[in-house]
Amino acid sequence: MSEQKVVKSKVLIDMVNDKPVEDGAVIFENGIIVLSGHYEKIKDKIHPDAKIYDYKDKIIIPGLVDCHTHHNGFGDGRSGDEIGTMPDDVLAIQSAKNAKTSLYSGVTTIRENGPKNLTMMRLRDAVNDGLAIAPRMVLCGRPVAIIGGHMGYFGGEVTGEDESLALARQLIKEGVDYFKITATGGSTATSFPLRPSFSKDELYAVTNEAKNYDMLTATHCLSMEGIDYSLDADVDMIIHCNFDKSNGESEFDPKLTEKIIEKEAYVNPTLHVGRARLWSLMEGNDPSLGGFENKRINSVSITNDRKNVLDARLDMAKYGLDVKLDHCRKMIDMGVKVITGSDSSWGDYALGNTVHETELLVESGYSNFEGLKSVTINAAEALGLSDKAGSLQKGKSADIVILDKNPLEDIKNLNSVSEVFFMGEYINRGSIKSNKSYAQNRPIVKE
Amino acid sequence: MNNYENNIIILQAGELIDGTSKEVKKNISIVINGNSIVDVKPTGELNLPKELEHQIIDYSDKTILPGLVDSHVHLTGIGDGRSGDELSELPDEVLSINMANNAKKHLHSGVTTVRDCGAKNNTAFHLKKAAEMGIAETPRLVLSGRPLAIIGGHLSYFGEEITGINECRAAVRYLIKQGADFIKVTASGGSTKTSFPLRPSFSQDEMNVIVEEAHKFGKHVAAHCHNSESMIRSLTAGVDTIIHGVFKESDGTNKYREDIVELMLKNNVYLNPTLGPGLMRVETMENKKKAGVFTDIDQEESDKVSIEHEHRLECFNRMHKAGVPMSAGSDSAWGAYEMGNYFLDIEGHVMGGQSPVEAIMSATSIASQSCWIENSLGSIESGKLADLIVLDESPVNQIENLRTVSQVIKDGKFIDRENLL
Repeated sequence: MSEQKVVKSKVLIDMVNDKPVEDGAVIFENGIIVLSGHYEKIKDKIHPDAKIYDYKDKIIIPGLVDCHTHHNGFGDGRSGDEIGTMPDDVLAIQSAKNAKTSLYSGVTTIRENGPKNLTMMRLRDAVNDGLAIAPRMVLCGRPVAIIGGHMGYFGGEVTGEDESLALARQLIKEGVDYFKITATGGSTATSFPLRPSFSKDELYAVTNEAKNYDMLTATHCLSMEGIDYSLDADVDMIIHCNFDKSNGESEFDPKLTEKIIEKEAYVNPTLHVGRARLWSLMEGNDPSLGGFENKRINSVSITNDRKNVLDARLDMAKYGLDVKLDHCRKMIDMGVKVITGSDSSWGDYALGNTVHETELLVESGYSNFEGLKSVTINAAEALGLSDKAGSLQKGKSADIVILDKNPLEDIKNLNSVSEVFFMGEYINRGSIKSNKSYAQNRPIVKE
Repeated sequence: MNNYENNIIILQAGELIDGTSKEVKKNISIVINGNSIVDVKPTGELNLPKELEHQIIDYSDKTILPGLVDSHVHLTGIGDGRSGDELSELPDEVLSINMANNAKKHLHSGVTTVRDCGAKNNTAFHLKKAAEMGIAETPRLVLSGRPLAIIGGHLSYFGEEITGINECRAAVRYLIKQGADFIKVTASGGSTKTSFPLRPSFSQDEMNVIVEEAHKFGKHVAAHCHNSESMIRSLTAGVDTIIHGVFKESDGTNKYREDIVELMLKNNVYLNPTLGPGLMRVETMENKKKAGVFTDIDQEESDKVSIEHEHRLECFNRMHKAGVPMSAGSDSAWGAYEMGNYFLDIEGHVMGGQSPVEAIMSATSIASQSCWIENSLGSIESGKLADLIVLDESPVNQIENLRTVSQVIKDGKFIDRENLL
């Protein structure tokens, strides 16, 4: 018989009940939750030799689920184009380090949205060989892109229905879990964010193959035509979901939003990646300009008399974030299934800080509890992992995070991670100093 | 007069083993300025300008020695008993992840410099790149990249199988272009399935051109030798370090060779005796015996292992007495030798007849000489880089106390040994 473990504390937020359980406990064996609930009610199911972790006044929540990560990345302002030039071995080392960062920060499930070549599949190999530790990983292999399209440098450039289908099959052969498609351009210098990338037929070639194997799909969409194409192709998740027209103007579109709702697509709005850029600029950094920003500068109102380009970029970032927040608020109001997906470590947003995104979803209208749902149970559902992750329910994986402070009082308290259990194992996260090293905080600068 | 800049740390050592001297000194202050050691003096005699800001750290009940130099590692290894042949089947990215883990583990155990004696394809160079980018925490790396091997020769699966003097010359030049700090050549077969441990591999002409080309560009050569003939070829060619240095005739008989030892002494060639793995094999068999499940085949294997190890220890002893400089180097994480256990190899040196302080010299100053880095590393002297370790217990009479590392300082910085990222 395997060892039984129990975590207990004053507050259990299991994400099954709408309210926290007072004096709660979670019992698990072999990495699977056997029972959870009020301690007094379930204590007779605890074996006499069970290992008890009593966290007293702390808060128990499920391990977090981040629907959008880039483990190849650095989050220090580097462009994707630059990452695309790095050797796979180096990116594999970085990914292994980032995976530990994710796990130590309380994220026990991630969906990877764009690594180079086979690097993340290799990280999974290393985990399976006992050479690395990582959260549960939902992998896309590499993103499907057009020639010169967004993240084409990661190794998945295709043209035409046949090549798109062939890449989909190749990725399945390599063992991917879902397909990530860049349906519009993005920060990639050679791409066009305001234009759809693939033709509808090319998109269908990939999404139909996905349906054939019950696999999920997600598309990167920085403009509305890409969103529309993706919905027609029955894509399951719209990423970024920028309401940009092909002329660069940004305007919320209720009709398109209704189509999102009707198609039951999830939306991962990626709000903080823009704020991370803002914070970086506020600190006086000069992060690399991606293609997106270059093109935006050409297409929107940066007037020529602005001498200080950095000031202009700062204004751009503020404006961009305000627009995104406004549109996100409207989507939430209309009832779109908006979930947390950090997009870290992309741009200036480093892994280990997933909850910054959740915080902005709360700023866009979610209650603290809904915010928590967006990074646990709802995120797990969006990834097709409702049977394994997202809540502390019987039969699910014992992915448990212990917090010092209650996130239902302030969503920022999700940052107060004290301990992490993954698949029933207590994770030794090392020194406190090393765990502070990855935190990105709001800069103390006058706005 | 020293030119102090900033960040001055004074370590007050109760006991100091400086790496070059057999004398163990008491109550010594080591002054670190930035990443360098700028002064080493008896604690009472230290005279710093009063206005100078500095931090004093009291280690009066501890022993300080130079950061250990492991002159033979395979960061690519796993140390779980799998063979090199199996290891080489893993993808480069997986091996890279493993190398980064191993590098951190070794550093945290007190090894501040390693000489990597062979990894697959470009993985060693890529690890160095990752270290320079700040995403991998490693000891200082002295790299060979890929070892030179004949077709089917030992470690040939790592990607550098070459034939003839032209290919040998080209391979050396290419490795140096990629950033190799030295050239590792497998002068005999080894554990590689398709190789022949009792035969030399490269011809004399090939060996000559490898050494000539490496020396031309200021790089040293270390040769893997599992038999006497390969040692003669290597020494004739002018290699700088003999690895393993197993005295075996081509029929497999063990025979100590005075002529080879004389040649080594004449050319001032270092021996990296790699006693750790043999020691571990003996221990494994003994543990098996203690556990009670011991077949006739096990007994036969156990006898063989013991005889070989005894031979190696005896040869070590005679060579040490003859004056051959012994460069400690673990050979981890090859075979079943996990990273982070360099002390086992150093304990082997004591079993072979060195005093604990001599064995520590083998693992510091002598190892750094064999790696051609002795100008900046391997001892605690003014002018050297500040790589040091602090032990809770003195190893002077008890070499096992090398296991009591409590602080590791590399490049003047205290390493967070609990950093698991």
